Amino acid sequence: MWDGWLDIPGVMAALAGGVLVAAGLAALILVTPIYKHIVCLRYLFAGWKAVVPLISALPAALGVFLLILVFAIMDGFVRETREMTRGTLADVIVDAHLEGMPYYDEFIQRITRIEGVEAATPIIQTYAIVRVKPRVEAVKPLVRPCLIIGVRPEQKAEMGRFAQFLVRQTVAGLKAQEKTRMDTARYLEHLRAAGYPPEALLDVPADLRRDGAASRAGAIAGLGIIGTPLPVLVTESALEGAGARVLLGVLTGGAVVVLLLVWQASRRYHGRRGWRRAALAWLLAAGALATEAALIPVYPVREERRQVIDVPLLDYGDDILVSTIPVRPSGALEKEVGGLPKVSERLLVLVDAFRSGYWEADSTHLYVDFATAQQMAGMEGRPAEGDQAAVPARASQVHVKVHDPAQAAAAVEKIKEAWREFLHERPEAGLLQLSINTWETQQRMILKVVEIERNITALMLGLMFLGFGVVIALISYVMAYIKGRDVGILKALGARDAGVGSLFLGYGFIIGLLGTALGMAGALVMIHYLDPIEIWVNRMLDVDVFPREMYYFEHIPRHVSAPWCVGVGVAVLAFSTLASMAGGLLAALRQPVESLRYE
Amino acid sequence: MSEPILQARGLVKDYWMGAARLRVLHGVGLDVGRGEFLCILGPSGSGKSTLLHLMGLLDRPTEGQVLFEGEDAFARPKRWRDRLRNEAIGFVFQFYHLMPDLSVLENTLLPAMIRTPLVRWPLVRGRERRRAEEVLGDLGLRDRKGHLPTELSGGERQRAAIARALVHRPRVLFADEPTGNLDTATGGEIMRVLARLNRKGLTVVMVTHDERLARQAHRLLHLVDGRLLQRP
Ligand SMILES: Nc1ncnc2c1ncn2[C@@H]1O[C@H](COP(=O)(O)OP(=O)(O)OP(=O)(O)O)[C@@H](O)[C@H]1O
Ligand SMILES: [Mg+2]
Repeated sequence: MWDGWLDIPGVMAALAGGVLVAAGLAALILVTPIYKHIVCLRYLFAGWKAVVPLISALPAALGVFLLILVFAIMDGFVRETREMTRGTLADVIVDAHLEGMPYYDEFIQRITRIEGVEAATPIIQTYAIVRVKPRVEAVKPLVRPCLIIGVRPEQKAEMGRFAQFLVRQTVAGLKAQEKTRMDTARYLEHLRAAGYPPEALLDVPADLRRDGAASRAGAIAGLGIIGTPLPVLVTESALEGAGARVLLGVLTGGAVVVLLLVWQASRRYHGRRGWRRAALAWLLAAGALATEAALIPVYPVREERRQVIDVPLLDYGDDILVSTIPVRPSGALEKEVGGLPKVSERLLVLVDAFRSGYWEADSTHLYVDFATAQQMAGMEGRPAEGDQAAVPARASQVHVKVHDPAQAAAAVEKIKEAWREFLHERPEAGLLQLSINTWETQQRMILKVVEIERNITALMLGLMFLGFGVVIALISYVMAYIKGRDVGILKALGARDAGVGSLFLGYGFIIGLLGTALGMAGALVMIHYLDPIEIWVNRMLDVDVFPREMYYFEHIPRHVSAPWCVGVGVAVLAFSTLASMAGGLLAALRQPVESLRYE
Repeated sequence: MSEPILQARGLVKDYWMGAARLRVLHGVGLDVGRGEFLCILGPSGSGKSTLLHLMGLLDRPTEGQVLFEGEDAFARPKRWRDRLRNEAIGFVFQFYHLMPDLSVLENTLLPAMIRTPLVRWPLVRGRERRRAEEVLGDLGLRDRKGHLPTELSGGERQRAAIARALVHRPRVLFADEPTGNLDTATGGEIMRVLARLNRKGLTVVMVTHDERLARQAHRLLHLVDGRLLQRP
């Protein structure tokens, strides 16, 4: 139930690190004199006053909670955005723009021979105007700009997540997010089994053919092109008795926990019975919390809410009229007999809709079969005819898939090299201005923005720890001050200066530990129940915290990075220990007689 | 007098109030014999506590030496003095100074707990506990060992403090006005305890401003304005 947002190898590594650190700490604890442990624990957990240091763990808990929660959501966004943009593209993009590159098949053969390259496919891109007649009475025809993308579907499907973003030809029973996250090769197998072979994704099936228009080619349109945003009712799961009951549950649960802890804290416990009682109280408190956490998800109910989504205004099989302006190999626009630029018009059949979550793709992309697109763009080849020389066919882009996505940048260099060699052999390909980039470089504007946002937020939240450090420093200082007499007594009885000082470091460490545990547990539970909690907040406050239509996510994206959690934990522990140096130094430097001279 | 266990040589202690120097002890020298019951008598503010702290290695003299069993204590590293306080010296303070968060038994166990790392504690705990209970029993605190210091009377607190000072079988016991905050009857009781311990061989150095109590000692020294007066 945790996978999807928690990466398991990371957790394992983090656990291993944690075990190592814990072992080191345990060794340290074992060789320090026992008085430190007893006195430190007594300061923390005995008597009513003990509630104060425990409360001081709350700022640490809050900081950890926010750092983990917010970072998980932002990181989820970063990853989701990357996946979406990457899914619509390919690892490496060779771009010849609208001029087009001739002899692309020869060049592709060369590319596929490069080590590390798995496959390559040519792509046509050209701009167009799309007109469609909605199936709704009294709605005017939609006229929209679009980017025609000519693909060889069986090849394109293997490049990215093209097939995974289709709406009609899909595998039943898979939620959109599961579908887009699935391994592409596996998904294509499922798709084939469902009766949709990838090579036929752009074919027009018999049941969609109307009016005997046998010659029309199929098209897959981004949902934004053929639809319009409309508010609809969608069902979502929410918490049972959301509001009062959950609130009441949480409050009573919290109250029980606090009462139990205070009960055990307010008792002085000497001897074995006291410790047993303390252990029992902590156990009961943990049990109460666990029950609380376990009870909340027991009652999920479906709940309706209004949401704006792109509602398709066309049916599959409907006509799409596309107008393009073909460009000749020389770069000039194709002209009519009268000298006016030629506009090529074509009727296509809508065979599927495309929804990637990447806004730009969904609102402008129109996928067409490669050969059809080539004609629409004027990039098709012509054999020699009379005194006219043969014209080679052109492609606008070549998409390349590499074995290891991490090696995409290296592949770019090799492809550039290959192109230079290719030009030597085929100088007639011309001095083309080719841009060869990884998908990341091509999309860096979008990707960098979300990453920077994530990092800045983490930094700002991290700065909060300065305040928290001051709190810990103050508390440990005051504690060492109040307990000055104890410090004197311990030193008079032979305790070492450093030993007494480290007692207060341990005190800060335990406060940090409590805060980290509390904050981390809270954040993980919150991340797990993020969606129902969000729905509940929306209902209570009548807001829309996370408008899903903006991203087409069913869930709020989240990704818990184990190294980040460990980093936050270690930083908080180190920080709280460091901050309690204030008390530690005071205790270590104090002369015993100073506090023992008077009552 | 037998061979001295403790010797003070020209002890001077200054306190600085800004630029002004306050000399509390003006070159105090004295020997404490093994098994002796020495009492230092002096009016309030004469420097009795200060002297005791120096001899008990709790504070450093401005000038002079303290020889413990012949060793110059302040020429040795601090670690050595810490160890000595933990194992060879018992100190009873003027104001009990029990740790308020620990029970009487735990207070009594403190010297052992300071000495023992956590791993070794399970091995020695039984023995240390029996020893602490024995000392508490001797001082009539057997039933109060689970109580916190705040739940005890003044006399009981002082006896608990004595128990803590005796539990590790020190070679010297320092007592700083052990009866100062007690009524006469309770004070007398404490004095009897100290006298009994001394008869068993413990060296006791006691400080007081009460002449009647001081009479129980073998030897009496007068401290006035930071100087010892030898009386015939
Ligand atoms: N830390 C200090 N700073 C300044 N003066 C000090 C300090 N400690 C002690 N004194 C001074 O030293 C003098 C002796 O103090 P001390 O406590 O030794 O007296 P005492 O003989 O024990 O008195 P009492 O019988 O009241 O306990 C006092 O005048 C005191 O003010
Ligand atoms: Mg005094």
